[in-house]
Amino acid sequence: MATDALRSQVATKWQESFSRLNRDSPGISGLLNFSEAWTISIQFLYPRNIRVPQTQEKDIKKARPAFDLVSRCRRLPALLEHFLEDMRQNFNLIEKEIDEHMLRSHGEESAQVIQELVDCLMEWYQAWTPPQDLGTTIFSAYTLNFQTRLFSSLPASFSQAFKSLCASLLGPPDHDLGERGTITGWNTGAKPNVWKNFEVLGLIDRYESVIASVGYEFIESHVLNACKGQWEKPMLDELRSWMSDHVVPWMIHVYARNASSPEEARAMLQGVGSRFDFHINKTLCDLRTQEIFDIIIDFPESMGALKDLRDCMQRVDQRSNLVAALRKANRKRLLHPGADTKIILQQYVATIKCLRIIDPPGVLLFKVAEPIRRYLRDRPDTIRSIVANLVGDDDSGDSLVDENEPIQPLQHQEVEDYTDPQWEPEPIDAGPEFRTNKPSDIISTLVSIYDSRDLFVKELQVLLAQRLLAIQEGTDRVEKERRNVEILKIRFGEAALQVCEVMLKDMTDSKRSDTHIQSQKQSVLHPTIISRHFWPALDTSNLVMPGQFKILQEEYAKEFAVFKPDKRLRWLPHLGTVQVDIELEDRTVSADVAPLEAAIIELFADTAIWDLDELVKAVGSVNRSGVIKGLATWVDLGILKEEPENTFVLLEREEQRGSTVVRDPGRLGPAEPEPASVSSIQQQQAEQMRVYWMFIEGMLTNLGTLPLDRIQSMLKFAPGYDRTVEQLGAFMEAARREGLVVVRDGMWRLNK
Amino acid sequence: MEQLTTSLAPPRQSQKSNVTSSNQQAAGSVAKRLSNELMTLMMSSSPGISAFPKHDGNLFEWAGTIEGPAETIYAGLTFKISISFPSNYPYVAPTIKFDTPCYHPNVDITSGAICLDILQDKWSAVYSVQTILLSLQSLLGEPNNASPLNPDAAGLWSNPTAFKSQLMKHFRPISDSA
Repeated sequence: MATDALRSQVATKWQESFSRLNRDSPGISGLLNFSEAWTISIQFLYPRNIRVPQTQEKDIKKARPAFDLVSRCRRLPALLEHFLEDMRQNFNLIEKEIDEHMLRSHGEESAQVIQELVDCLMEWYQAWTPPQDLGTTIFSAYTLNFQTRLFSSLPASFSQAFKSLCASLLGPPDHDLGERGTITGWNTGAKPNVWKNFEVLGLIDRYESVIASVGYEFIESHVLNACKGQWEKPMLDELRSWMSDHVVPWMIHVYARNASSPEEARAMLQGVGSRFDFHINKTLCDLRTQEIFDIIIDFPESMGALKDLRDCMQRVDQRSNLVAALRKANRKRLLHPGADTKIILQQYVATIKCLRIIDPPGVLLFKVAEPIRRYLRDRPDTIRSIVANLVGDDDSGDSLVDENEPIQPLQHQEVEDYTDPQWEPEPIDAGPEFRTNKPSDIISTLVSIYDSRDLFVKELQVLLAQRLLAIQEGTDRVEKERRNVEILKIRFGEAALQVCEVMLKDMTDSKRSDTHIQSQKQSVLHPTIISRHFWPALDTSNLVMPGQFKILQEEYAKEFAVFKPDKRLRWLPHLGTVQVDIELEDRTVSADVAPLEAAIIELFADTAIWDLDELVKAVGSVNRSGVIKGLATWVDLGILKEEPENTFVLLEREEQRGSTVVRDPGRLGPAEPEPASVSSIQQQQAEQMRVYWMFIEGMLTNLGTLPLDRIQSMLKFAPGYDRTVEQLGAFMEAARREGLVVVRDGMWRLNK
Repeated sequence: MEQLTTSLAPPRQSQKSNVTSSNQQAAGSVAKRLSNELMTLMMSSSPGISAFPKHDGNLFEWAGTIEGPAETIYAGLTFKISISFPSNYPYVAPTIKFDTPCYHPNVDITSGAICLDILQDKWSAVYSVQTILLSLQSLLGEPNNASPLNPDAAGLWSNPTAFKSQLMKHFRPISDSA
């Protein structure tokens, strides 16, 4: 029920609207005029189907007064609303065209189709644009609305197709253009309006990432083409100049088209330019990261690539990627049984040098080196390889150490010196284990693979002993070894090499005492007299030299006892060489042979036929296969013959070669490796471990169960025990596998 | 040079350090002897006897193990013993007692004390842990019934069946954790 108040309010409202539309015209003529102007405006703006021929042309002159009238009546917002509604209803026309184009775009020429689509969208857009007279508000509302509807109706596949269109527009320069001498190289002039159209339709903003990705891909393909495998010279500068020649022009085209001055263009390009520059860095960095293993192999020829990588790393945070890639490559290509220890060492040294270039503080190196070092520690011949390299044993010339590098003492792990004005904190990505190792020389780094350098010194002694004992009479090898030892003294210190010093002194001393003894009583025997305490353990043998050799030894020993009454000779008859002349009935044979072989043939001097077992007994119960091998030497020389099996006969008269029984090599049993005359470090360690096991067994028998750390501390009772608790753990674990001990809750006890 | 350092060093202090060092030297020589004996014992691997220091850092208290000799009444039984070396070892015999109760004519069943001549008046510095252990092992099979610590056991010795049952009644193997 309408009250009076309501009624009067409605009346006022109505009156107000009426007067606005009627504008004080007489009667309702104003109202009629407005109504006419409204119709004209609506019709003028109506978004028509442009594919249908128009019956009547739009006449802006006729429409302008109508717009004025609507504007004056403040009905423009309503008009806009109406127009947008019309557009919504007719937008299906555009959608239909989009669908048609998109269907065709699946074919080959998708870029072409999309361009056509863009052209045609542009046509629609322009046809529906309201006239300028209506003001910018309406225009921008229209544009926004049109773009919104357009984007919502573009299918997902459009962006892919649009990308290929961009790629074709921005594609690499045609050859024709190149001939015309344009340095821009980009096909910018061909489609001058396309970019403008893109902008009008809002496609540049909306598909900015797509357009940028075209640039990125272009950069990527160029970097890969230009830089893959090219490690000699730094590529980064070249890439930058390539970018300013080839990429910047189209960047200007896309991003700075409206720039009026170079400064303005620069400002507009700044963001995208640094993004592209970053992308160059990143692509190059990724490429080099992939190639890093081969780059290191090629070092120092790959210096350029390393410098690139260093520069890129400063912009791109790819350090962890590099570490991961290199560790993976090392694991796959280096740290496996197929790789020679020497090669691993070489690659390790190259890695050190390379990563020092990329990252001087050494954080990367530390992370990469750890697995290599761990692996090397487990290799049995690592120390030997390093030591062999130290003393220049390599004849291959591939020395790990640069000859020109000054020889310097091994460096110790230094404690941080905080008073140093040059002190810097550890880099932020350094791990907790990281130690700032100052750029030290290669040998120090290699030696530091092992916790103690004693191992090296011991191995040095073994190696030196082997080499000294192998020295033949009358060479200057001793002097050469002396020189080596002097060099090593600088590295390892005087004290560590004292034993080596004694060994060298033994060599000269024995020569001197030999000269003296020879002057007293001429002898063909020239022994090397070594001090047992200072030489590494030598293999012992039960070999007893028979006949004249024995006499020679005894005579020499007698003379020696006169010369040095406080010393006693203990013969190691199995070491050394013997030059023998064997006078037979029809011939004389000279040969340089091992002592065992000489002993065998000496026995044949008295008795022409020997049974193998008796022979073994006669030379002092030595290794049977050794005797067989010695016999084989003489059989080969045609002095002995085996007839029948296991019986050997001296051939006083030479027989035809063919008649000798060829010994079946299989009967000799598996070929034993030539025994090294000096027990290796491993053998010595195994012997030590056997001692420690006796202690472990003793303590577990009497004390029952013990935890590992108790065992470790109890082993202090064993003389010379120097293993870490980890080594002990590994040893106990091995003993457990052997079934000697059992462990429960960390408590070890004997397995009874 | 040597003169210089001696004149620089305060005389009182040097005297004092001399005294302590001579003590240490004495202790050190005993420790050295014991550690040599340990080494010998470990390397000899005599069957059925063994001993080892109870704690690291202390060579004067050992634990030992003796297995009963085969073909004796003690065969198959394992006895734990404690060995305690005096600071003037080897001039004085170590003190040894059974930790495992041992029913034996010359062993006190409750205290574990042992009556063995070489551990008392017949002790000589040439004996070692190894000889003691070997003597103890043979004592198990051949008791000296003339001077028994455990008269019951001495009386029963001639009756192996009864002796064995008594032995097993008292025998209580010491668990490993002890």
